[in-house]
Amino acid sequence: MRIGVMSLAHLHAVGYVGLLSGFADVELAVADPDAAQRPPGESGGRAFAERLGVTRYFDSYADLLDWGPDGVVICSENSRHRELTELAAAAGAHVLCEKPMATTVADGEAMLAACAAAGVHLMIAYPVRFSRQFRALQAALPALGRLVAAAGTNNGVLPTARAWFADPVLAGGGAVMDHTVHLADLLDVVLDGAEPESVHAVANKMINATARVETGGQISLRYPGGVIATIDCSWSVPEHYPTWGGLTMRLVGEDGIADMDAFAQAVLGFRESTRSPLRLDYGTGGDGAMLAEFVSAIREGRRPQPDGESGLRSLRVVARAYESVRTGAPA
Amino acid sequence: MIPIGTDTRLRVGMVGAGGIANAHLPAWLHAGAEVVVHSLHGGHDLVARHGAGEVAASLDELIARVDVVDVCTPTDTHPEIVFAAAAAGRHVLCEKPLALDPATAEAMARACAAAGVQLYPGHVVRYFPEYVALQAAVAEGAIGTPAVLRFDRCGARPHRAWFADPARSGGIIMDQMIHDLDFARWLAGEVETVHARVSDSAPGTPTGVVSAHVVARHRGGAISTVTGTWARPGTRFRYGFHVAGTDGLLSHDSAADPSLRTDTGAPTDGGGDRLLPDVSLVESPFVAEIREFAAAFRGGPAPRVSAADGVAAVRIAAAANASLASGRPEAVEPAEVAA
Repeated sequence: MRIGVMSLAHLHAVGYVGLLSGFADVELAVADPDAAQRPPGESGGRAFAERLGVTRYFDSYADLLDWGPDGVVICSENSRHRELTELAAAAGAHVLCEKPMATTVADGEAMLAACAAAGVHLMIAYPVRFSRQFRALQAALPALGRLVAAAGTNNGVLPTARAWFADPVLAGGGAVMDHTVHLADLLDVVLDGAEPESVHAVANKMINATARVETGGQISLRYPGGVIATIDCSWSVPEHYPTWGGLTMRLVGEDGIADMDAFAQAVLGFRESTRSPLRLDYGTGGDGAMLAEFVSAIREGRRPQPDGESGLRSLRVVARAYESVRTGAPA
Repeated sequence: MIPIGTDTRLRVGMVGAGGIANAHLPAWLHAGAEVVVHSLHGGHDLVARHGAGEVAASLDELIARVDVVDVCTPTDTHPEIVFAAAAAGRHVLCEKPLALDPATAEAMARACAAAGVQLYPGHVVRYFPEYVALQAAVAEGAIGTPAVLRFDRCGARPHRAWFADPARSGGIIMDQMIHDLDFARWLAGEVETVHARVSDSAPGTPTGVVSAHVVARHRGGAISTVTGTWARPGTRFRYGFHVAGTDGLLSHDSAADPSLRTDTGAPTDGGGDRLLPDVSLVESPFVAEIREFAAAFRGGPAPRVSAADGVAAVRIAAAANASLASGRPEAVEPAEVAA
């Protein structure tokens, strides 16, 4: 099976390339033609791909698609997801697209339409769904009884390795755009695809005040049936913190409470000569299982999950959060 | 106001003998006070349980015998007792919330000020050591300016029926989450608007699991989310915070083990009253709180929490309750009493 990676703008591509290289039945290729447009010092292009161990590199997306990939993994800037998805779909390639699927709901709908018209799958990259921690939480769900409330956090450092993350056009926003969707997607799983009745959000830019986008955001949701939820999506982790951030979710049910921390598995210590904490994360995350789902769904001719529709639902939560920030009222 | 001699023991009259009275009585004894209790129920049991104190037959008798009145009754009864204490010139410690609505809380603060007596609200979270450490570090600039804050509080639903009656307790936001609303205000400044939601697994009954959250915008630009849960019987009490500032962050979870925790309570409550958290591993925050109030009542320095703070906390909680009803963010009324 041929899998192409379109763009290395999102550094998750590095992990995906490494994991896909280890899939026995996958031939891997990469195209990163927009690397030259990146700010000075940001990696990309053929040389970077070769350093990642990639042996098949194309100078253009057209060349990559002419190679006839069965599927592509789109790791461009958010605002370019639509254009690359449409290119891939037109070439008959199934699509796994980084989250958020687009910067506007209209773009997301166009991506769904393009993939449907071409008869290819559209999957959105939500790796936390595939983590052992979330699976354990799902297994604990029956013990919790009817759900009453949820509280999620996805905090991280201000992304600096790639400037586009804090670019209002290329990213489509700041912390609210970047981090809300992971929790919205987990709630989408827990609540069987229910969409919130009401979204209220506040945002600010006190931490890293010179950023061009919001760095702090807190969202309040109410779902059909009365379940309420909060999401803290802030880029509120200090730049030199021992870890990039994390993701947690608490579920409160009629019969019990469960707390998940998706990135807590770490050996902790301290190094005297640098006077710095040591943190050895040993969790494996969900990337491998997510890529395996994409590849096996292509092989088996079935729709992979999370699909484009679920990606659009979580994107709608983001759009409503921004609307609420703008108006001050729930959306 | 009766002058309190430094060579005599502080005489304290506790009104009420429920959950919080069991925490306050030993703290008063620790502070060297003599305690008299008046309660419609359980006064003799309270005194017997702690092996100290006397019982007064009426509120009037209690007020006549003491220097300080400690109001440990259901919230809806706070105002009349505070007004009576103030009228008699007695200092007052009143459990939080001071009252169910800002106007009444304001009137209580004014009555005490007019009578020349001190009034302190029992916002004991300001005395919990992890919160003390947080506030001290933030005050000295350890994490810059607080910007994005979260507070959480979760414990078994109080089994006494009055908690379940919004007309008596004000509901979970006014009764439980007011601790964290007060603390968020202390750390990040006055609150401008709040938006709140609540979810109750069995509305209209005293047995459902209730969760609520309040999202607050502070005047200085910070944002806070406060979440609270009244969980099923037997659920262990836990609480925590995550405070991110312009130069760092501080966080704490009273239950530390991270990857996955489940708490399905117990088939029965086991008879234990888990209204209050286990504080056996630290100096009791109630001892610290009451020691500070007792010193102030004797003419010592002003405590870290004032009557105006208590009024402000009621304002925030009342605005959150108004938001529950309106479904929209609600402005928090500006204070009339200077903090």
